[in-house]
Amino acid sequence: MITWLLLVSLFCKSTQDGNRQNNGNEISTTAGVYPRNRVFKVGSRVTFRCVLSAGQIFDKMYLTGYNDPDMKTEMISNQTYALTVHLNKPSNSTCTDVKCHIQHVDTTKYGTCAHIGYPPGDVDLKCETRDLESVECRWTARDTHLARKLTTYQLVGRSCVDGSKGRCSQKVQVDVGERNWTLTVQNELGKVELSDRADLTKRVHMFAPEGVTASTVNARSVSLKWVWTVQQYNNINITCQINVSHDGTNTMSKYFGVGLNFAVLTDLIPNWLYNVTVRCGTTQNFWNWGDWSTSVNFHTRGDVPDALDVWMQRKDGQIIITWKMLLANQSHGDITDYVVTWANTTETEQQNRRKVAHNKHHLSLSLDTTKEYTVTVTASNKIGRSSPSTMIVPRFSPDTSRVKTSLITGSSGGFSLSWSASPVASCGYIVDWCPTSGHCSVEWLKVPPNETNASVFSKNLKDGVRYSLSIYACTQGAPVLLERREGYVRQERMQNRLFDPLEWKQQESNVEVSWIPIPQTSRTAFIQGYILYWSDNNDNNNNGNVSTDLGNPEATSLTARNLKISSYTFTVKAQTAVGECGDTSLILTLDSLTDDLIKTLLISLVTVFSLLSLITVICYRHWACIKQTVYPPVPKPLLTEWLTSPGEHSCHPLPVDQCYYSEADIMDIPELHCKSGAPVNGYVSHKNIPFVFAQTPNGYYNQPLKKFTPEPLILPTTTIPSQSSSFRCVFPNLSYSLIMQTLDQQSKSAPDPLEGTDIERNWNGYQPQSHTIFSLNQTNEDSESPMSCVSTYILFPQSPST
Amino acid sequence: MADRRTRGMTGSDLSRTTAARATAIAEQLRYECSILLELYRTKESFTAEVTVADGRLVSVPPPSSQLDTRDKLWRLHSALLQCRSLLERAIAKEEEELGGGMKGEYEAQRRMVKERLSLLLINTGELLKAVDGTVVLTPDLEGLELDGPTILFELKLWVYRIFKEVDYWTKTAITTLQGLPTVIAKERAGTTRRARSTRSARR
Repeated sequence: MITWLLLVSLFCKSTQDGNRQNNGNEISTTAGVYPRNRVFKVGSRVTFRCVLSAGQIFDKMYLTGYNDPDMKTEMISNQTYALTVHLNKPSNSTCTDVKCHIQHVDTTKYGTCAHIGYPPGDVDLKCETRDLESVECRWTARDTHLARKLTTYQLVGRSCVDGSKGRCSQKVQVDVGERNWTLTVQNELGKVELSDRADLTKRVHMFAPEGVTASTVNARSVSLKWVWTVQQYNNINITCQINVSHDGTNTMSKYFGVGLNFAVLTDLIPNWLYNVTVRCGTTQNFWNWGDWSTSVNFHTRGDVPDALDVWMQRKDGQIIITWKMLLANQSHGDITDYVVTWANTTETEQQNRRKVAHNKHHLSLSLDTTKEYTVTVTASNKIGRSSPSTMIVPRFSPDTSRVKTSLITGSSGGFSLSWSASPVASCGYIVDWCPTSGHCSVEWLKVPPNETNASVFSKNLKDGVRYSLSIYACTQGAPVLLERREGYVRQERMQNRLFDPLEWKQQESNVEVSWIPIPQTSRTAFIQGYILYWSDNNDNNNNGNVSTDLGNPEATSLTARNLKISSYTFTVKAQTAVGECGDTSLILTLDSLTDDLIKTLLISLVTVFSLLSLITVICYRHWACIKQTVYPPVPKPLLTEWLTSPGEHSCHPLPVDQCYYSEADIMDIPELHCKSGAPVNGYVSHKNIPFVFAQTPNGYYNQPLKKFTPEPLILPTTTIPSQSSSFRCVFPNLSYSLIMQTLDQQSKSAPDPLEGTDIERNWNGYQPQSHTIFSLNQTNEDSESPMSCVSTYILFPQSPST
Repeated sequence: MADRRTRGMTGSDLSRTTAARATAIAEQLRYECSILLELYRTKESFTAEVTVADGRLVSVPPPSSQLDTRDKLWRLHSALLQCRSLLERAIAKEEEELGGGMKGEYEAQRRMVKERLSLLLINTGELLKAVDGTVVLTPDLEGLELDGPTILFELKLWVYRIFKEVDYWTKTAITTLQGLPTVIAKERAGTTRRARSTRSARR
């Protein structure tokens, strides 16, 4: 009996062993794919079997995601097929399908899901407590690629809910003292145990405070309070960190206490919105900051505005008191208005007061420039009025020449200044700035006493604008001006045609180009000098330039020398630190020297012609007067009575023997004998017989002689050559003025007819019209010569023989 | 008379509105089901040749042209209720047996389909109430295979089959709901006439 039982058991065991050799933990007689729901390690080699039902024909068998061409399906029997696979890839979606298809069947009939993954590999276990009643451990989990349920996690021997996240917590008794905290991770492929030895009382990771509220809110302080849900916290020394944030800025502050559940925040800004969060940790054996609480917002109450920053500016004889608009964190509420008061420093009881609207930040005052004033400004909001800001306005002193002004160049959009310390700057320094020309709305900044440098930045600073900066010493009285600077934040190139209009002047082969000085308002950079370029428009190789000395911005001309006669383009540029700019061009053609000469000649000719024309016109218009003056007409002889009455005549016939005549020329009428002498007014007788005549400007006139009574005329006895042109003493021609004198009288007195003295005539009736009496010199040799006369004036009838 | 007519017209309008809304929800659900099926096929590497067995998972009376609107609505509502139960069970089993790892697009789409199906059920319930006037009873889920297979591969096929069941009944809901508005109006008018004639007969 016993033997029989042993044989049966042996038979049964061998049958089971045979079945196990089929890689199955079940009897694989039912159609399907085997093994089912098994876990395999990545890298293992596994044989899957597909068991078909009777009548079914095998089609194919494969693993999802495996395309190994070496995989071959092996037929074990008519209804059993095997596929051996090297599982070199972990499952993507927790298990890998193994499918078996049957011919002539559309649906996927048979399959299994193989879990291909890794044994546990978790590391770095760290345990702590949060509530002093449980242990909470964290570790670095390793992805096994297996379904979550296939890997178990146990902490201190108890299962974790979801250890795959690398975190597990268990209720334990937390006592003082170290102990081992053990985590066991296990799956079908392996097992790992992690330990962390720690005293959890020294590893308290606090929860976030609950119910944080701002219990008391003031203008500049607030009380916060919260509660602890973990009772044990009330018994431990706690350090809490409070994060106060506002307007994008964060401030951290710490508070300490046993079971700390409140804090007072100070130095807050009135009328301001804040946000706070709180976290805490143990003071002793600090392990970690706890979780942050939820954030709490609160708004501080309002307060009076902060004191104003006040400055002044002198403009057009007035003082402009200016103050900076308070920022939101300074006004502590909406500003309603400003109040400005001012009084003479010596007469403080006579205070003036004016209210300024909230949207204005300056006030112009007309103050006596000979006095010093104290000005105060306050700002008001609905809470009250700010502390007064005081400014001492000094007496006006126009003499600022002692203050040195230097040039400055900006950088990075502003100015960096430094200056020498001043002993009078008891309360620091003030730097103000304004455009040098144009509208000025002064800006300023204040520097503490122990600093002598400042950086001036403002969104109002513009490139290319010249600014004047002043440095003042802040004193107990009025500010004292120390230094001045002028400069550009950033110099800019000046626009073209800066020098319009250009003037030019050619001097032989030189050309001087000149311009009017550039006003400051047109300058966007420091002008260091000027440069003149020229280029020959007909010859590219003929060009050049000339420049002023650097440091001569006041120059107004440049000269190009030794230029050929051609057409040139002249360009003037300003030299600045940002390069040459302000190009202004001029195209002109030079005049040749010959041209100059011709031009000069033409001008001269034109001038002379004009002068002559003028003279001609004048002469034409006044010809009569001129003629009368220069060339008076000879008056016609006027025959008077004495010509018809010889007895009355002073001119007596000459005795024959005293007359120069030839026998042929003896006439009945006695003749006047003339001899040629010096030409008188161009009139010369052939015989050089002088005679005299007198003439008035209007011609001749007959004027009875008054004074002179000549001697009876004695005619010379010499004969007179018989020439047609010879004169004879012929009385009928006595209409001409003749001075008839005796020889004696001629030698005794020679009245100067030129002097125009009255000369008595022997003849009554005809007298010369002019006072001018001309006479011819007679020598002593000729003293006995007969009377002279001009032949042209005396016409004598010619004797037939001549 | 006027009040009755007003009430009747308001109810009809409300029914039309509810039907239209339900139709829109069903169309949206159909679109989301198609995305869910595609995501599942991609996740499980199901090719187009992978098909599941025919036959419905839900248990409802067979379709018939003899069914009136109320019956049609009741049949539809019951099927959708069972679909939701199956879907919830499929999600739970999948999480339990195959869960783990990061949640991605597939899990999000699966949740969206479940929520959309719930919204559709609310609307079909309102329609049923409007037509029938009775409280909608929770359909009996007895006989529904909610356990699911233990073999993981079969479990996957089962989940896929449930997704396709939801897809099928969503399309049926669209067809049914689109045919509803005029039918409701006619039936409402018929109900009103029957009520009037009954009252006048009583007088």
